[in-house]
Order: sequence, then structure tokens, then C-alpha cells
Amino acid sequence: MGQELKEMPNNPMEHDKYIPETFNLVGKRGIRRIDGYRKASGKAIYTRDVQLPGMLYATFLTSPYASARIKGMNTSKAEALPGVRAVLRYDDPEIRGKKVISTYGGEEEILSGYAYFQGQQVGAVVAADTEDIANEALRLIEVEWEERPFVLEPEDALESGAPLARPEWIPAPKGTISADLSATQGEGAGSNKLPVSFGFAPVLRFGDIEKGFKEADKIIEFKARRRYHGCADAEMQSGITRWEGECVEVWLHHQHPYEHKWTMHQWFDIPMNQVKINSPYNGAMFGGWNWIDYSMIPQCVSAILAKRTGRPVKWVFNRRDDFTFGQMDVMTTDFKVGAKRDGTITAVKLKTVYANCSFEAALHFLENTSIPHIYSETLLAQVNRGPTMAIRCEQAPPSFCFSHVFNHVAAELKMDPTEVALKNDGTEGEDMEYLAEFKRSHGFPVRDSLRECIEAGKKAIGWDEKWHPPGSKRLPNGRMHGMGFVWTHEWDSTRGAGVAGLLIQPDGTVSIIALRSDIGVNAETTYCQIVAEELGMRIEDVFFRQQDDVYLPLMTPDGSCNLTTNGYVMKKVAKLAKKKLLELATSTVHLIESDIPPAFPGMKPEDLDIKESVIYAKVDPSNKKSVAEVVKDVKGSVILPREYAAIQNTTHEPIFVWAWHRQGRLGVEPGRHHLCRQAHFCEIEVDPETGEIEVTKVVNVNDVGKAISPEAVEGQQYGGTYMGIGRNRSEEYIWDKPTGVLLNGNLIDYKFSTMGDVGSIETIIVETGMGYGPYGSVGVGEDIGTVTSYLLESAVYNAIGKWVDDGPLTPDKVLKALGKA
Amino acid sequence: MNETRNGLTRYSCPYCSNTFDSFEAIKSHIITDHKTELLPEPEGMIKLTINAQKYKIRVEPEWTLYYLIHDQLGLTGTKLMCDHGACGSCTVIMNGRAILSCMTLAIECDGKQIETVEGIAAANHPLIEEYVKHHCMQCGYCTPGFVVAAKALLDKNPHPTEGEVREALAGNLCRCGTYPQHPKAILEAAKKLQDLVEVK
Repeated sequence: MGQELKEMPNNPMEHDKYIPETFNLVGKRGIRRIDGYRKASGKAIYTRDVQLPGMLYATFLTSPYASARIKGMNTSKAEALPGVRAVLRYDDPEIRGKKVISTYGGEEEILSGYAYFQGQQVGAVVAADTEDIANEALRLIEVEWEERPFVLEPEDALESGAPLARPEWIPAPKGTISADLSATQGEGAGSNKLPVSFGFAPVLRFGDIEKGFKEADKIIEFKARRRYHGCADAEMQSGITRWEGECVEVWLHHQHPYEHKWTMHQWFDIPMNQVKINSPYNGAMFGGWNWIDYSMIPQCVSAILAKRTGRPVKWVFNRRDDFTFGQMDVMTTDFKVGAKRDGTITAVKLKTVYANCSFEAALHFLENTSIPHIYSETLLAQVNRGPTMAIRCEQAPPSFCFSHVFNHVAAELKMDPTEVALKNDGTEGEDMEYLAEFKRSHGFPVRDSLRECIEAGKKAIGWDEKWHPPGSKRLPNGRMHGMGFVWTHEWDSTRGAGVAGLLIQPDGTVSIIALRSDIGVNAETTYCQIVAEELGMRIEDVFFRQQDDVYLPLMTPDGSCNLTTNGYVMKKVAKLAKKKLLELATSTVHLIESDIPPAFPGMKPEDLDIKESVIYAKVDPSNKKSVAEVVKDVKGSVILPREYAAIQNTTHEPIFVWAWHRQGRLGVEPGRHHLCRQAHFCEIEVDPETGEIEVTKVVNVNDVGKAISPEAVEGQQYGGTYMGIGRNRSEEYIWDKPTGVLLNGNLIDYKFSTMGDVGSIETIIVETGMGYGPYGSVGVGEDIGTVTSYLLESAVYNAIGKWVDDGPLTPDKVLKALGKA
Repeated sequence: MNETRNGLTRYSCPYCSNTFDSFEAIKSHIITDHKTELLPEPEGMIKLTINAQKYKIRVEPEWTLYYLIHDQLGLTGTKLMCDHGACGSCTVIMNGRAILSCMTLAIECDGKQIETVEGIAAANHPLIEEYVKHHCMQCGYCTPGFVVAAKALLDKNPHPTEGEVREALAGNLCRCGTYPQHPKAILEAAKKLQDLVEVK
């Protein structure tokens, strides 16, 4: 195991034991973003931008009905249209009844003859010379639809006699991965009740819930709801397939492109070593689409069409097509909470009904508090809406429940919500003393993360001066003033695996060799920062081009996991490369006719160090040679002058290393406690005449353990806040109830935050070093957008003295709460 | 325009259908009688200037300016996000005004001066460096649209206030939420431009 480094953790309970005392690059501001110029100047290439010679465009027929089956279809007029090169039908013998199997275990029919939501890609796909011709051909397809009854709301779907949302649905057979991912088998094919997702149990029991209620001074009961919303990502979905004989090459707008090698292998029975993946920049991602088995379908379809036509085929979704999936916190929860007068929560009972996908809503109470008694029941219904998945995090349901419980308890007890938070901070029913001992015994710094976050945030927003009893402060402009607060743990749910190589080129520059889809989190730069830091190189001598298929598995690309996992890989390759480089600098290269003396004769690797891309002797730093000189310091191959070494390869073994790292499973294994916390504060004004909420200030405080790129952390803080506030206030898919047709599948009527929608945002980074990631870091990509999605409820209550527990908090709901609508 | 019959080539005038025995004869006829250049332009032919380069190109009536720029001319910095004038990603400058290229028909752009993000970058406009420095991009898809809108603002108003910057960019959507960085970068770029003017 030459690739192993003992000081690096491979046990998920461990953390980084190799943290330098001082840093040259890690944590430094002002390091130029590698992707910055390309993205600002329009040079960055996205899949949507790629055109290949002879390329065809494929577009999809979509269902006009919420639930329908195709009884018959006439595609002859479409096929006859000039410029149409192929039409693939659902009843084509090659695809009929066949399913796409993803590595996540799910299955979808490749092109089904039935639809279970309006807008679903169904029945036929056309490949033509242009997108316009393909779309025109779609309009010429005559379809005989069997319209079926449908159900849109999960509560309705679970009632007896409700129409079946998906009559063709068959539970996953036992022994398959899909079945493993479902804790129960639901009620089978004749019911809308689905198995609970992600392997959670349908009922979670922790402690004794009835005992918890008996210990309480106050029982609080309420209901809260979050309506369907979605990703609305920047670049509409697309992908390209091109066949070159037995090899296939694909271009993908996808966060998990490597998965498609598997899919291509499954579908076409071609070896994975004959599939090449290109992963251009992605125009926003946030998970979502990539986690849906459905995302495999268009790529498979384009591969079939490309094979049949002998031409590259680019499949494209239009903006409406892009609205086919949503975030998984489509949920209604009944809450019953017990609390003591001093703010100690004794019991939390939840009953949650989800649509199309579920998660464990009580998770944050378990991971994050000393609450001793928890009970959570999950019901999952399938409805005639698009699939739901994790869009910027599956932790939305637990964040939703967590913020609602803490807000309501503080309000009922007439306490400052920050005090209630501190009162209940802990883990798995244990208090802060237990957690301090855990930190001590596991070698973490012992700091009170939540207290630090709350103190910093309160000071920044002026909490002590501004917070007031609910509904008690009217501003001179007639609006009602409110202060909001939410908290939870940081996203230390680090998981996944990463593999990368590192090569020192003959000119002394360093290439990171890895495939990693870009999602905008400045990963290319931060990976280079770590490598440069550990190897002793200048940052400008290290480069990472994430989009190339280097035939290594994809590094974990998920927003909050990538750096905490892949950062270890970078540390490992850098340390291994340093070792090899210093060995080369002190070793003689033996040739037949002569020997090449070492760059540092008579010295051992441990006598040397590297700084600023220069190798120097520790005892005499003036004895130095640049890395470029050392790696190029060869006689040259064959009889060519040594400059040819770069072309013909070097006479010494190239400095090439590789490393792999796995971090956790789902990151939530019992006993692997979250140690870092986050807290968010806001100040709002509610217009009592219009019901509009103006967010004047938000303060984000995140204990990220260690910020490797502070600007990137801040980007996730304010960026997540814009997304969270948009979700909290206005983002919602709206269906026409009588027809089940989505009414606002466009970026005019689906409203996410613009520049004018949030006042000022102040970002505060706390660094306690208590993360499991490299340098004690935690992930930060997903959490702020998720947690701030439930920030406004407490602020609106503080402003108007009434709860609006139905997200998004649109003006009509606020007016209704004020008794005005 | 020309046909060969019995070994003789005849040239017919595309304006009046008269025929001539030689190319010189028809050329002289068109210049004298029709008072125009030699040949009529085919339908859909437009001339325009993009980033100071002249183009003469035949466009279909349904082509948008975005499609012409991005798909036909390969200037892929101009991006398509909403496809109906709601997001600003496809913004280009036309005769000094920021316009949405997904909502503009190419055929209407005859004689126009267009500037895209590629032109702004090629001219080393300080906006680009300030955008990089201030991390104005995450996924980067909408970024060129912001840069172009900002350039159009600074062309018109070299000393904008932060409020004016925010107003000028209010029509540009960014799903990653990079919004707070743009005014900082643009105000900084305005300062740099001012310094350049003073040096000159």
C-alpha cells in the first residue's frame, strides 16, 4: 500500500491529524479563481455551447395530461418532414419495456408509453437537423391519449378510493438495490403509499415519547407545510452522444457524469473502458436532476438515435421541460412538542406526509440536541407531479421541522429563541458536557460552536437592541418590524470517495489528474491551493482542469462533501509527490554509458524542503534549485538533446502519484457527532396593507471548522441566502387543480430572488477546527440555502404576532394571518 | 442568371429578365439601367458589425440574434437561460443599448453594431479582472450577461452610484446568488476606467 499515508484518516470517526501550524495558501484571501477569467469572459464552455460536425438535435414529446396512457400514435408526418433524421417511439422493439438502471439503484422506463405528470417526456423523441425542425416534427405527431384520473396532493392520494397516481408502478423486487433503499415495501402496486425513501424506517423512536410529554410544563401542537418548489437551474438540461465505432463519447450537463459510463455499459453492453465522458462547466446544478433516475433517460435515448443515424445527437430540454422535478421537502407535518418553562425541550413528536420522496424529518433533533424523547412517523404518497429529489440538500425536511419546533417553543415560552437554542444544544439526547468530552477524547479542539456563532450573529445584527415581543414594533413607515433566527449543525455529513493522480510535468508545473464536474464552488482553485500548500509549490504552478475524462472514477461532486473528501485526496497526492520529488533530487539516475548525478549530491530527501516551487537544503537555503530544474535535470532520452526530454519522456521515472480517500457513508452514522454549528439572523419589514415581506438584513454565521477559500465560503453564505429567501418567500410550482397542468414552468412566473430581493447580507466565518474534513473543515455548499429556506417564519411571527406556517410565505398568506384576506 | 444553349451562353438580368450575350454587357446594363450594384441581395441577407468585425450573413426569418451569435457564429459567451426575456443571460449591446438577444430577431439587426462579452474581454475592459477578483461567478453561466449589462451601464454612466448599478442589473438572474459581488466589482471597474482616462 504505497499510496497510504498513516496520518490521514480512513476511519470516518477520525479527523485530520496533519494540520500545519501556519499556512501559506490555505485560508488565504485574494487567490485568483482558476475558472474566474473563463467564466467572466464567456470563454467557459458548457454542454449547451458544444456543437459537433453533423450534429443532430433531439427533442421530446411531453404529456399534456397529469396522468395518461398512449393508446396509439402516428408519427408518419413527423418522419416525412424534411430535416427529420429519426423518430424513436415508445413501442420501438429496441426499447419497449426496457428500463434504465442507475448506479443509485432506481429504474425508469427509457421512453414510456404512459405519463404520471403533465410535462413528462413520453412516447416519442425526434432527431433532426435543427432544434426548430425537431420541435416542428413533434407538433406533427398524432397521439391518441387515454386520459386518466389524477391526484395532486399527497394527503388526497393516501385516502381510500383515490386515483392511482402511477398505475404502472411496481415495487422494487426484493434483493435489488432499490428494495434495499426502501425500508418498507409500501402497500404494493395497488396503492399510492410508497415505501419510505433512503432506507429510513417509517417510524423513528428515540427515548420514550409519552414520558417526555409527562416531563413537560407545556405541550405545543401545530401544523406546518412546505409546498412544491424546484431547481430552476441556469443552463437548461442537455447532453450529446457520439459513436466512434465501438467507442462512445458523451458530453453531459450533469453533476454525476461518470454514472453514465455505467448506464452506457448497462444499456449497450459496451465495456466501460470504451466510454469517454466530457464534463463541461455546468450552468448551476444543486444536485436535484442528477439524483433522479429519470436523468439517465435522455442520454440513453440520444445514444440510440446517434447509433441509428450515425451522427452525434444532442438532446435538449426547453425551459418548460426543465421544470420536471422538484425539491424533496414537499411535506406537511403535525407537530407535538413538550417543553419545560426554562426552555428545555423534553419531547418532539412529528407526523409527516411527503410527496414522491421522503427523508427522516427528525434527524436534526437527534444529531443536534439533547432532546431525550423523539418520535417521528413518515408517510410517503406518490402524486401526479414530477419526481422530487435533493435540490441543494436532502436535509431540507429535517431543517424544516427543526426551525419550526424551535421557533414555536421560544414563542410559546416567551423566550429569546437564541436562549432556547443554547439550552437544547447537544447530540443524540446528550448535553454539551458529553459533547465536550467527546471532542476532548477524539482530539478535537473543545469549543462551544453554537455559543460562538450566536454571539457573533447577535452582535452583527444588533439582536439585543432590536429583538422584541411578537407584533410589538411598528416602524415610522407603517410597516411591522420583525427579527428572525434559525440554527442547526453544520453540514459535516461528509461522505463519498475521491481518487486523483498528480503529475509533475517536465517544466516543473503540476497537473492534478481527476474528473470532477464543476458546480461553481471554486473547487478547481481550492484543490490547487491544498496541493500547492502541501507540496511547497507556488499556486500558479498547479493547475486542475476538472472537465477532462482521465478514466478515473468521478471525485465526489456533491456540494458539501467534495472538499471535505477530495481535500484529503489532494493532501495525500501532494505529500506522496513531495516524497518522490525529494527522492529524485537526491538520487543518481543510472544509464548504460554514464550516470546522471543528483541535483543535490550527497544529500538525503529529509535534508531538503520545498517552498515557492524551489527545492532547498534545510541547513543552507542558499543551496537551492527550482522544481523545474530538478525534474528537467536529465540527459534526455536516446540521442536527442535534453530539451527533447519533454517530448520523448524523461530518463527518470516521472513524478506521478495517485491516491484515494473515502469519507463516511451518509455521514450520519450514530456516534459520529456533528460538532460545528451555524446560526442565521434576519431583520424584516412586513407591509400590513400588501402582506409583502421586505428582508432588510441577513446575517449568516457558519462555523466551517477551517475556511480553505474564505471567498468561496462567503459565496455559499450569501448565495445560499438568496436561494433560501427566494424559496421562503416566493418559490412555488403552481398547478391548475382541475387539469393538473403546471402553470408557471418558466422564469417569469416562477420567482426566485433577484438582486433587489434581499437587503444587505453580512457573512461571518467562525473557525473552530472541529470538522472531520481536512484541516478540521466541514462542508458549506448546501446548508445555508437549505437552512435559510425556513428563516422567515420566525421573523414574520416576530413582526405580526401570528404564524404563517405554510411556505412559501406569499403576501396572500400574510394578509390572511393578519385577518385581512 | 446564365444559361447555355447551343454552345452559346446567355445572361439574363435578375431585375428585368432581359438577356445579354456577354457578362460585360449585362454588367453595364445593370449599372446603367438599374443604378445599383451588380446583384440583388438574397432574401434574409444582413450586414452587421459584431465586436468590430464585419459580418455579412444570410439569416432565416425565425432566427433570434442569440441563435445567430451563439450557434451560427460560435460566440458562445452569450448564454440562453430563460429563453423568453426574463433573465438577462443573453444580453448583448446593440448600438449602445443593452438588449436581450433571445428576444431580438436576427433579421432586424441589419446595419447594427453589436458588442458581446467576447468583445469586452478582448478589449481588456477592467470589468473582467474586477469580476474575477470579486468572485462574481459561481457556476458562471449567467456571468457574461451581467458583464455585458455592466459594460452598457458604464458606457452611459461612467460614475454610477451603487443604487444605479443595482437597478441596471435588476433584470439579470443568478441562481447561485452572486448578487452582492457585482456592485463591488462594477464600482471598482468604474474607478479603474476613470484612472485610465486621467492617465491619458
